[in-house]
Amino acid sequence: MNRKEFLADCGKKGLAGVALSMFPWLESCSDKAQQEVKGEKARIGMIGTGSRGLYHIKNLLRMPNVEMVALCDDYRPHLEDAAQYYPKAKLYDDYRKLLEDKNVDGVIVTTPLYLHGRMTMDALRAGKRVFCEKSMAYTLDEALEVYNCRKELNGVLFIGQQRLFDPKYAKAMQMIHEGKIGKVVGVRNYWYRNNDWRREVPSPELERRINWRLYSEYSRGLMTELACHHLQNGSWAMGMLPEKVMGSGSLLHWNKDGRDVYDAVSAIFTYPNGVNMTFESIISNKHFGMGEQILGTEGTIDLVTCMHYTDEPAPKGSGMHQLVAQIESGVMSNSVFAGTSWAAETSPLAPGMPIMDNVTISTGESTVGAEADGSIEIMEAFVHAVITGKQPEKVLEESYYATQFALLADKAMHEGAILTLDDKYRVPYTPLG
Amino acid sequence: MAEISYSRKNPDYPIVYATFGAMHTRVELLAVGLDEEQGRGLMAEAEREVKRLERLFNRFDSRSPLAVVNMTAIGQSVKVDDELFMALELCEVFRRATAGYFDVTAADDGVETGRDGSGGYALDGKEHSVRILREGARIDLGGFAKGYAAESVRRIFEQAEVRQAVINFGNSSIVAMGHHPYGEWWPIGIEHRKVKSAVAREVKLKDGAMSVSGRAESGEYHIIDPMTGNRAVGEELIVVEGRSALVAEMLSTALYAAPRNRRAAIMAQYEGYVASEIYCRADGTTECREIGKMKK
Repeated sequence: MNRKEFLADCGKKGLAGVALSMFPWLESCSDKAQQEVKGEKARIGMIGTGSRGLYHIKNLLRMPNVEMVALCDDYRPHLEDAAQYYPKAKLYDDYRKLLEDKNVDGVIVTTPLYLHGRMTMDALRAGKRVFCEKSMAYTLDEALEVYNCRKELNGVLFIGQQRLFDPKYAKAMQMIHEGKIGKVVGVRNYWYRNNDWRREVPSPELERRINWRLYSEYSRGLMTELACHHLQNGSWAMGMLPEKVMGSGSLLHWNKDGRDVYDAVSAIFTYPNGVNMTFESIISNKHFGMGEQILGTEGTIDLVTCMHYTDEPAPKGSGMHQLVAQIESGVMSNSVFAGTSWAAETSPLAPGMPIMDNVTISTGESTVGAEADGSIEIMEAFVHAVITGKQPEKVLEESYYATQFALLADKAMHEGAILTLDDKYRVPYTPLG
Repeated sequence: MAEISYSRKNPDYPIVYATFGAMHTRVELLAVGLDEEQGRGLMAEAEREVKRLERLFNRFDSRSPLAVVNMTAIGQSVKVDDELFMALELCEVFRRATAGYFDVTAADDGVETGRDGSGGYALDGKEHSVRILREGARIDLGGFAKGYAAESVRRIFEQAEVRQAVINFGNSSIVAMGHHPYGEWWPIGIEHRKVKSAVAREVKLKDGAMSVSGRAESGEYHIIDPMTGNRAVGEELIVVEGRSALVAEMLSTALYAAPRNRRAAIMAQYEGYVASEIYCRADGTTECREIGKMKK
């Protein structure tokens, strides 16, 4: 089910008003919004055409209102890879030249983290509408600078927190906010892989350029590359921001190749009401894969598997429901349900209920990008915004704080301290519906 | 709180359905032909009653009157309220009428309560008091409470003049009021835990009740044989049908605990009740034998 089907489905159920008021940033998918941009083209330039850039290109190719007019990378093989998909695009090896290109309306920044802030601000100042991969910036100060820059220029800025645009997450959050799992009492996130997180390096002098994720000079490692997705879910579910952060990180297993970012991290984020959100990532064991679990007094929602588990689960395939369906349909047939006394099973065994039908589940194993995780939808929304110049409500603040708390947790790990976000980094925040 | 839904998809037979957790299982109630306000109100009233009985009979809740009895009535008399006293009286009557195999003091492993023919507790009708007779014995009304609560819900429905309803306590204690709107009975299929979703037997319930006992869904043997203090071990299901859910539940528990060769004798005392054993064969098929009609 894609975003359009999701919204159409909401409509069928008489929830369209509720859904759109709860998810205003999804409005670009509405018929009205689509009519607004019919026949128009978003002229896009991409800065950074490595693996993540190519991932976006493959999605952009499906969008008829995208015209890729410029591509930029200072690593020629990557640039040539991307140019195969868009042979008419102008090629640059200096992003500043691309920003001077008057044919470019919107810019997609898919470069190493340490470049995000600078490139985003330069693009905004050049009058471009910007999509930048998460995390938003390399430091707390820089993230604030980017946020303020966008605000002062009244520009368009999307950060690649694609879960915000994933229909299954939107549906799950709606259920959480409607109280379907009771009061939220915990948020549990984990992301486990078992690989070295390296990209192939054709020549040793390219090691740090290609494997920038592994070096603290360019990246904050697992917190900025993975955790920021989960941290944003926590705030979305909780409707508030964490108050304090603590954590511990180690270079545990992949410690012989010269990298200096942690390969095992655990962090705890405590909200003002006492609820803890945890994030754990280990990249030398993958058994549990990825989990994003919102724990309530009456049930649990696993965002990754798109399942809802109640703490008082109903019997499997209740025969009483069969009886109800029979009477509704005006028929009688056997209903099989009697047996020895049914007892509520414990959570791991209890059959959950899918939140939506026909969803694609991401295991979190891919180091490039997943299928059906909101990446297409966020890019569609960005393309719409490139044409209309409209910044969607609230989502930038979500992305901003996801970055800030990812960076703060990384800092807490390095300092061995319990940290709070300094007031100077606070920007107006309205919880998502 | 119960999840209550109301359906008018079939305008001739509107349905109110409720489900909630109680008595360590899931209760489901279905009633036909009520208007929405009455239906929802009735379901809420039924839930309140079941929860009240749960608080009264739950030995694991230290605040329950039964827990107080278990903690304080060993070797000394403890007064109890009318309803708990009546429940204990009924259980004692059924203990005697099942050759000792329905014994609510057979609650824990290794506590042998029934071999000498006396019960595990003594009642004083004048004082409305109970005294537990054996050190280590405790009263567990788990084999009584669901049937009793199902009957209580039936009374509530009857007072509201509900004609067609199904009351289901965890799939093992079921009451049918009237019949299915499109048939002459409520068709209830029984499944054996080893052959899921296949009908081991169909029961045609009309103004009646049924109870199923056997090895639990989880695989646990949870019914204790009062004569040995050991868990009764059998792969068969015991199904009892009859007018009262309470009698059916107590009988199915007793029959499962009793040796096979004593079951027919127990059933001979219960006119209007039919009991069956359902076995699962090695090839996955099931066989149903009515107790008392088996070939010797």
